[in-house]
Amino acid sequence: MAGKVITITSGKGGVGKTTTTANLSAALAIAGNKVVAIDADIGLRNLDVVMGLENRIVYDLVDVIEGTCRLKQALIRDKRVEGLYLIPAAQTRDKTAVSPEDMVAVCDELRQEFDFILIDSPAGIEQGFKNAMSPADRVLIVTTPEISAVRDADRIIGLLEAAGKGPGNLIINRLRADMVQRGDMLDISDVVDVLAIQLIGVIPDDEAIIISTNKGVPVIFENNSTSSQAFKNISRRLGGEDVPFLNLQPETSFFQKLVRFWNGN
Amino acid sequence: MTPERVTIKGTSTGIVVTIGAGNWKTILRQLAQKLEQRASFFKGGRAAVAVGERLLNTEEIEALGAVLAEHQMTMWAVYGDAAETQTAAKTLGLEFEPADAQRKQKSPARAASARPTENVTTIRRTLRSGQTVETLGNVVVIGDVNPGAVIKAGGYVIIWGYLRGTVYAGAVSPENAFVAALELKPVQLIIGDAIARAPADDHRRTIIPEIAFVQDGQIIAEAWNKK
Repeated sequence: MAGKVITITSGKGGVGKTTTTANLSAALAIAGNKVVAIDADIGLRNLDVVMGLENRIVYDLVDVIEGTCRLKQALIRDKRVEGLYLIPAAQTRDKTAVSPEDMVAVCDELRQEFDFILIDSPAGIEQGFKNAMSPADRVLIVTTPEISAVRDADRIIGLLEAAGKGPGNLIINRLRADMVQRGDMLDISDVVDVLAIQLIGVIPDDEAIIISTNKGVPVIFENNSTSSQAFKNISRRLGGEDVPFLNLQPETSFFQKLVRFWNGN
Repeated sequence: MTPERVTIKGTSTGIVVTIGAGNWKTILRQLAQKLEQRASFFKGGRAAVAVGERLLNTEEIEALGAVLAEHQMTMWAVYGDAAETQTAAKTLGLEFEPADAQRKQKSPARAASARPTENVTTIRRTLRSGQTVETLGNVVVIGDVNPGAVIKAGGYVIIWGYLRGTVYAGAVSPENAFVAALELKPVQLIIGDAIARAPADDHRRTIIPEIAFVQDGQIIAEAWNKK
C-alpha cells in the first residue's frame, strides 16, 4: 500500500491552499482512506488552526526531522473522523530548518502507512515551496480568478515543469458567478486559457468557509454548501472518478428571468 | 569501477567535453578528475561541452563552467539536443549548436562571425511567467508567451500563439525587425529603440493575427490579412 503524496501550492498567498488541504484531507478520510496532512509552512503555520487541532500539538515536523521525537509522536489524530491525521509545522523556526531531502525522507516513511499524504505548501517560490514540492507524486495548484493570482500560478507551474513535477492540476477558488456574469471577474476559461493545465475543481466564494475556518472546523464537516460539495468532488476526482463540475450560475429572480426573456436570451 | 561518463578530446573545432547519462554529482567529480590528470595540457583553452539528450538548467551549466574555470578553461558552448538545455545555454550567453551539427565540423571562427540574423531559435512550448529566452538571432515560438515571460532577440520574433508577455526584438539588427503573433497583446513590446504596450481597450471581439514593426520611430501593428 504505497501512499501517494499530493502537494497543494499556489505561488500567491491567501488563495486557499490551507483551506483546500484541510478539506481535501477530511473528504478523503471520510471516504475511507488513511490520510495525513502536513503543514510545510514553517514559521507561519496555520493548517493546525484551520483543522481545529492547535491545542493538541506537542511535537511538530521540525522535531521529527531533527530527531527530537519519533514520527509517530508528531502525528495528531483528528477525533472527528477515522483515519485523519496532521503533522503540524513549527512556529518558532523558519523554512531553513527543513530541506527537500528531509521532506522526501519523512514522506517515504509515511507512504508505508498512509493512503494519502497531503502537503500544504507555503506561498512563494523559495525554500518553503521547494521543500513542499520535492516529495510530491502529484501537485494541485490553487488560484483565484484574479490576474495577480494567475500570474503567480503561471510562474509556479513553470517551476514545477522545470523540476519535473509538472504539469499538475488546477483548482480555481473563490469564484463569484455573479461577478463573472457582469464581466467583472475572470471566468474559468480565461484562467485555464493562460495556465493551460487540466482543471480538477472550481470552488465558489462562500461565507461559510470563513465562519467554519474561524471555528477550526473544515467546512465539509459543517454543512452541504456548494463549496463543501466542490471539495468533495475534487477528492473523488483525485481517486480517478469522473465527476461532472457543479453548475455555479447565480440564482436569478423572476424579474431577471423576465428581462432575459425580453432580450431574447 | 564506475563507467566512464566523461570524455575529453581535441577536435578540429577545439576541445570537446562529452558527458553521458547518469548521476550528476558523479559526472562533476569525474570531470574534475580528468581535468586534474591532464591539467597542463588543457590550461588556457576553450572548451565546448556536449550533453546529448540530458536536460540542464542554467545552474547546472554554470556548475560545469565553474569546474572548467577551476582548471583555467573557458566554456564557450554547450551542444545538446533538448530544448530546455538550449534555452538555458542561450540565457547564459553561450554558443549553442545541436549535437548533429557538430559533425559538420564548422570552425568556431565561422560560427561566431555568422550574421546573427541568419540563425533562428525555435521553441516548441508555451513560455510561462518568469521564463526568459535570449538570443542574438531570431526566435520562433510555437506556443503562447504568457505575461511575465520575456523574449530578447537580436532579430525578429514570430509567435505562433498568443503574445501576452514581453518581447524585445531587433536588439542587434533593428532594421527589418518585427514581431508577429496570432494575438498581439504584449505587456511591453520593444523593437530596436521603440517601445509600445497593448492598447487599453482590449475587450476585442475577435482575435486576429498581427505583425508589429517600426515606422517613423513608432511601433505600429497591422492585421495580417492581404488586401
